[in-house]
Amino acid sequence: MGAFILRRIFQGFLVVLGVTIVVFVATRLVGDPAKVMLPLSATDEQRAAFEHKFGLDRPIADQFVTFVGDLATFDFGESMWQRRPAMDVVAGRLPNTLKLIAAGLGLAIILALPLGAIAAIRPGGIADRITVFGGLFGLSLPQFWLGLLLIMLVAVKWRLLPTSGYGGWQYFILPAITLAVPATARLMMLVRSSVIDELNQQYVRTARAKGLRFSQVLFGHALRNAMVPFITLAGWEFISALAGYTVVVETVFAWPGLGLTAMQAIRHSDLFLLQAIVFTVAIGIVLVNITLDVIYKLIDPRIKLA
Amino acid sequence: MKIRRVLSRVALLAAVSLPFAGVAHASQVTIAVGSEASTLDPQKRDDGGERAINDNIYETLMMRTPQGELVPGLAAAPPTQIDATTWEFKLRPGVKFTNGEPFNADAVVVSVDRIIDPAFASEQMSYFGTLTGAEKVDDLTVRIKTSGPDPILPSRMYWMKMVPAKYSSDPKFATEPAGTGPYKLASWTRGQEVVLDQNPDYWGDKPTIDEVHFRFIGEPGTRMSGLMAGELDVITNLLPEFVSSVPKSAAVQGVETAVIILSTENEATKDERVRKALNLAIDRKALADSLYGGYATPTKGQLVNPRAFGFNEAIEPYPYDPAQAKALIKEAGAEGKTITIVGEAGRWLKDRELIEAVGSYWKDAGLNVEFKIEEFGEYLNQLFDKNHRPDAVFVVNSNELLDADRETSFAYQAGGTASSNKDEEMAEWVKQARVETDVAKRKELYAKITQKAHDNNYLVPLLNMQDIYGFSQRLDWAPRVDAKLMVKEMKVSE
Repeated sequence: MGAFILRRIFQGFLVVLGVTIVVFVATRLVGDPAKVMLPLSATDEQRAAFEHKFGLDRPIADQFVTFVGDLATFDFGESMWQRRPAMDVVAGRLPNTLKLIAAGLGLAIILALPLGAIAAIRPGGIADRITVFGGLFGLSLPQFWLGLLLIMLVAVKWRLLPTSGYGGWQYFILPAITLAVPATARLMMLVRSSVIDELNQQYVRTARAKGLRFSQVLFGHALRNAMVPFITLAGWEFISALAGYTVVVETVFAWPGLGLTAMQAIRHSDLFLLQAIVFTVAIGIVLVNITLDVIYKLIDPRIKLA
Repeated sequence: MKIRRVLSRVALLAAVSLPFAGVAHASQVTIAVGSEASTLDPQKRDDGGERAINDNIYETLMMRTPQGELVPGLAAAPPTQIDATTWEFKLRPGVKFTNGEPFNADAVVVSVDRIIDPAFASEQMSYFGTLTGAEKVDDLTVRIKTSGPDPILPSRMYWMKMVPAKYSSDPKFATEPAGTGPYKLASWTRGQEVVLDQNPDYWGDKPTIDEVHFRFIGEPGTRMSGLMAGELDVITNLLPEFVSSVPKSAAVQGVETAVIILSTENEATKDERVRKALNLAIDRKALADSLYGGYATPTKGQLVNPRAFGFNEAIEPYPYDPAQAKALIKEAGAEGKTITIVGEAGRWLKDRELIEAVGSYWKDAGLNVEFKIEEFGEYLNQLFDKNHRPDAVFVVNSNELLDADRETSFAYQAGGTASSNKDEEMAEWVKQARVETDVAKRKELYAKITQKAHDNNYLVPLLNMQDIYGFSQRLDWAPRVDAKLMVKEMKVSE
């Protein structure tokens, strides 16, 4: 197990390095920060001075050498947008995003497990139809629209919660629900179909025949076996939230997280900040994948880690 | 028993008096702006979020009345010109920065030298390109030097925030500002909120609002919801379609003007008749009403902002004359020829919709229109490309200094930042106007420039945008033409 984790960390290191290099090249091919950041009326000389200040007038190979050298010390340069170290900006925003994901994904997991299991008990029954309909509904709602709808209803009409911003628990509820709705739907559908599969297995009939109660079969066997695909999807939900969904939710709720900051970095062509964000997210994804592998092993001892 | 009764009375009393406790003093407003303040250094970035806050913390030598008239601010009087390249400012005595440093000639010298230092790489340099330095005459007299004659120096000094001489070189300066203005920083939670409270030593009239919260909410729908839920008192950039939903709103003619710049060299647009047709084909009034709900004003035949120095009152707006436009296209033999419009989407209010609406008017006139809506970075590459001018390129010009030099050097002067004509004579006038210090002669030059560009249809000026604000019921404020959010001018009724 120890050797496995070490090997995975080394592989992850290569992935992060690869992603960071791709981002380095891609950002330099697309936007020109001097054009985007300075007022439209700025002169060519003023743009040149700006490029010089941030070292963007040097040959790209030269910039790359500096970039890799600084990478070793986690130095991503100065954010052009905030004019302070890019990693400081990321460090300030990452916890807010992680908290939002924890709340949203936690809610999704807590809801998806029982709902999916209940639906699977009698496929085609009333409970199943309601949950499947609800799941499809949740999947087809655009998150952006859902967020604004919740704000209009809960915060504006009923005045129960704040419309946007970051603060105490009241501020978490609407963004977490918005993040959770489609994730709950996906996870619940998966639990439902895996449990249905399991309940149709021969061993279930054997277990029932030897006198186990249905609930024991459901929780002790079927749901436990459904956990491996469930955790895979939950991990995928975490990664997608970190690398995408939170951008939408944070924009709607003015949530000061990494997703909103990524949008600002793109809007301002802030190469240095963008590199720091992508680097951080890549590390997050690698860590999640390693954690998933370890969890698989814990749940299902038959799985061999290689 | 007795104790309980007493307690319940106390609770009742508290319940009754609490709602009123905050009202007697400490009036507070919450303002939502669309973009986050990136730094609180007032000289570093060209950033709307930063400006909204620092306009209340810092002050400038010259300022503007809400209607746009230039008046002395930290200067005691309008500046006098010593020679062609030197302006002398007398300073207001007895003014202090909130860190205790005095506002004096040293502060002005440092403010000027700091912002024009190439190593500082200020994004505001496009406002101060002509400045070469400042020198102290005595404690309250300072001379500002320019590279050539600069008639708009007083307007430039309306944009340059004055920073303390010593503290401005401290690294903490970007997060813990110290200005001379009516408010000072109380707290800053990055990405969320900046809180200001009153500067007790402010030299001017004491503002009526004690505490200001600035919040950063990018999504327009969320901003509006915050206003409707009573969490916010002022929101900026209210969408026209939301005006009827908010408790109160106000609009004022802003500094932005949408325009399409035509190339005088390209296949279809080099023909003067085609360019004229492109101007006549557009119903600007209909665009203002349908796209912007009336919160935009058709331009008067020129790009120059109506409030700016150099606006030409004599020019008539381009009429909407689709029949003549069609006839001109036919006469020029341009029927079915392709015109490419380069633009972007999402940077300015309803930009894509406006470009597409203009394109469909041009189609009606008999042309074939190709839209090139690009990603913003790529769009800027094309907007600034001196060698390959698009047939037509859309842009929203912003004139913060309210002087015609901005528009003329940006879109009129051949070889300018985004110009697409080769009119050397007109370019010469633009250069002359930039250094002409005689006000009447300068006005004359801008009249000639705008008239010639109008007659030759170098540009298709579209709409002057209005800034729309949403207010809570209790807030009273008349928005300013320069779009500055001056809290000292606001009042709340409780």
